[in-house]
Amino acid sequence: MINSSRGYKVFQVVNVLIMLVVIFVTLYPFIYLAAISFSSESYVYAGEVAFLPKGFTTMTYEVLMKEKDFWTGYKNTIVYTIVGTAICLFMTTILAYPLSKKRLKGRGIILAFIVFTMYFNGGLIPNYLLVKHLGMRNTIWAITIPGAISTYNMIIMRTFFEGLPNELEEAAMIDGMGTYRILVSIILPLSKPIMATMALFYAVGAWNNWFGPFLYFDKQEMFPVTLYLRNMIAGAQQTAVSSGSNTEDLTQIAATVKAATTILTVLPILCVYPFIQKYFVAGVMIGSLKE
Amino acid sequence: MSKGLKNVFIAILVVFMSLSLFAGCGSDDQTGTGDNEQPVQTGQSDESAQPSEADDDNVSFHSDQPLKFSLLYSSNPDYPYKEDWLIWKAIKDKTNVSFDVMVVPMSDYAQKRSLLISTGDAPYIIPKTYHPDEVQFIPSGAILPVSDYVDKMPNFSRQVKEWGLEDEINTYKQKDGKYYLLPGLHEILTPDYGVAMRTDILEKNNIPLPNTWDEMYEALKKLKQLYPDTYPLSDRYQAKSLLNIAAPTFGKAAAGWGAGDGVYYDRDNDKFIFYPTTDDYKNFLAYFNKLIKEGLMDPESFTQNDDQAIQKFVTGKSFVISANSQHLTGLRKTMDETVGKDAYEVKKLIPPAGPAGPVITGSRLENGIMISSKAKDDPNFEQMLKFIDWLWYSDEGQILCKWGVEGTTYKRTADGKFELMPDITFQWMNPSGTKDLRKDFGFGNGVFILMYGGPKYLAESYMSPEDLEFVNEVNSKRELLPAAPPILYDEGEREQANMLSTPLMDYVESMTLKFILGDASLESDWDKYVQDCKQKGSDRLVELANKVYQSTKDVLK
Repeated sequence: MINSSRGYKVFQVVNVLIMLVVIFVTLYPFIYLAAISFSSESYVYAGEVAFLPKGFTTMTYEVLMKEKDFWTGYKNTIVYTIVGTAICLFMTTILAYPLSKKRLKGRGIILAFIVFTMYFNGGLIPNYLLVKHLGMRNTIWAITIPGAISTYNMIIMRTFFEGLPNELEEAAMIDGMGTYRILVSIILPLSKPIMATMALFYAVGAWNNWFGPFLYFDKQEMFPVTLYLRNMIAGAQQTAVSSGSNTEDLTQIAATVKAATTILTVLPILCVYPFIQKYFVAGVMIGSLKE
Repeated sequence: MSKGLKNVFIAILVVFMSLSLFAGCGSDDQTGTGDNEQPVQTGQSDESAQPSEADDDNVSFHSDQPLKFSLLYSSNPDYPYKEDWLIWKAIKDKTNVSFDVMVVPMSDYAQKRSLLISTGDAPYIIPKTYHPDEVQFIPSGAILPVSDYVDKMPNFSRQVKEWGLEDEINTYKQKDGKYYLLPGLHEILTPDYGVAMRTDILEKNNIPLPNTWDEMYEALKKLKQLYPDTYPLSDRYQAKSLLNIAAPTFGKAAAGWGAGDGVYYDRDNDKFIFYPTTDDYKNFLAYFNKLIKEGLMDPESFTQNDDQAIQKFVTGKSFVISANSQHLTGLRKTMDETVGKDAYEVKKLIPPAGPAGPVITGSRLENGIMISSKAKDDPNFEQMLKFIDWLWYSDEGQILCKWGVEGTTYKRTADGKFELMPDITFQWMNPSGTKDLRKDFGFGNGVFILMYGGPKYLAESYMSPEDLEFVNEVNSKRELLPAAPPILYDEGEREQANMLSTPLMDYVESMTLKFILGDASLESDWDKYVQDCKQKGSDRLVELANKVYQSTKDVLK
């Protein structure tokens, strides 16, 4: 770009500036939380922490390391995320693939039924009763099965499958492959980008999910870490707000502990992004077919 | 049938079959924790257990057979639920009763409680419920009218009678004359909100601590003379606490947090009146208008957020602010940084007295227990009532819940005072202790106790010296106004009353601010304000309240 025009240079500068602002805005909450989590309490209360930790200390993390419930929650979250993502991917794929085939009779009606669920659902109490009568309460299935297929994700995946050239499958069929073999050996390897994307969507959803576990679990040892975090932050706020005549049973959780817990909770799922990014490469299909 | 349609049917069939397959899976996995569909636990044997000895006062409770009752447990993030807490064992040892605990994070306790009750999944015992949250569950019949059973709860009944709480309990009654929430009881009033002042500044300038609103005015005035650049009073909570404390001391008035629906019980005439148009209310407005007019009170007090108010106070731009004891501690923590340790002194004053005398409002009832209706069919229902009565209301039960096991977590000194074991810390006690009474043992647990509730000696045993002084001062120098009787609206009447009072009180609130800030004049605009209130239905509201009150009087007897 040695001879790039003046206008292009201006564009580049402005572009970079805008991007820097956007990056700063999205990054700042994390920086702020990280700074608080490494600061000593008195500076936080005086409102002096902005970018860098003041009175640097790792005490907060040391305290958190000893918190057994936090790590139980962490373990649970990891299990729920892995199992949930696996189930979701499997279910979504086996629904999306047939629906991508034009030769499937009644495809439109099935799709209509599925899309219907995007706009209407039974609501909280019927869902709860359903899960209860299926006997799923206090089991991992209560939070992994009911939402196994996200309609939106399924439609994206179906569109992707539709975009795969039909000739590939025809060729495989001529070579003697059955339907399932085609799905496993031909389609899935070609679908890594969409699978990675879906896995990421589902994993983030499962990681962040606190409401499902909150509804269906009654045992502390089953709570995911998000529920632990939710209770810590919203629970403490609630007591502060309900300022009636008496302040009983007060909750005082240091801002530093809240910040450290938040950081530790979001960090792992944040780290997944760079690893999945390599699948987002365009042109995986190049060279697969000569027309 | 055409081939196409057939395929559709097959496809649908496949979907449903695979669904039922998963349902099957779920059920199989369920067997390990099979009691979840029926969280209701009864005793090991079917025959009803009998109390081990004749103990009519329920001083001590012990069941002959092991019993298990289901309990909804609000898990406080500060001390998350633990299965191996000593409190569970201590209760079991003492009473032979254990809990089937349903753990709910405190952050969303109310939501899960509603869900469980409406789906019929609620445990027997549902504590930590604030009046009037229980009202929503009454129509479905999911919770018991506990008032029908208090004769089986000797400790509760005795405390209500001995501590003179009948009038306050009356306020929990519904149209049928019953109440559905077993409230937590206080022997003494334990107010928490007061007015914090920089006592070091007052002392330095020889200004006496104000005991009345007039003295407060004088003090603020002197502060203004000495520090003309400041607003001596800049309040937090949008001044709602301050107004709440001040209004009743001017007579038939209420404001701020206590504003309510505009209806005020006039005890002298045994009828309800509309307080925002009384002369007392006008005098109350005039007082605060005076503070604003003379620059003694920050006009932003009513709009700024708490952090802004705190900022002014801790940096010496104001000297008076509303506070409760916890927020006072917060202020001190910050001021140690901003002003410097020992360079300041802050004290929370008891609510000042006014023209109507040294009166305060408040309640000696607090969050309490609902009991699921299905518990009634349990063969051990009466045992459960006695157990609840013992654990939440008896001295022995409450000592256990508050202090734990004698010799393990606490000891009694020669003069009967409670003392934690040296290694155990709790709130302000034994700050150097390595174990926490709540986090490590489960005692001092908000599900089973009210911090400052129960009998006086137990309430006081939990108070820091500063809180104790504050509470004692309030109780000896201030007079608690009796609770107004409830207006037993039925559903239609309540809606009618709300329709009238909501827009009316919005108007009153905005006019209250205008009068105080001087945007409206108490001389020239008052009559029009009274007229407007009437036009917005203040008369009709009062009429409705009085009609309902008079016609349901006998229910409250």
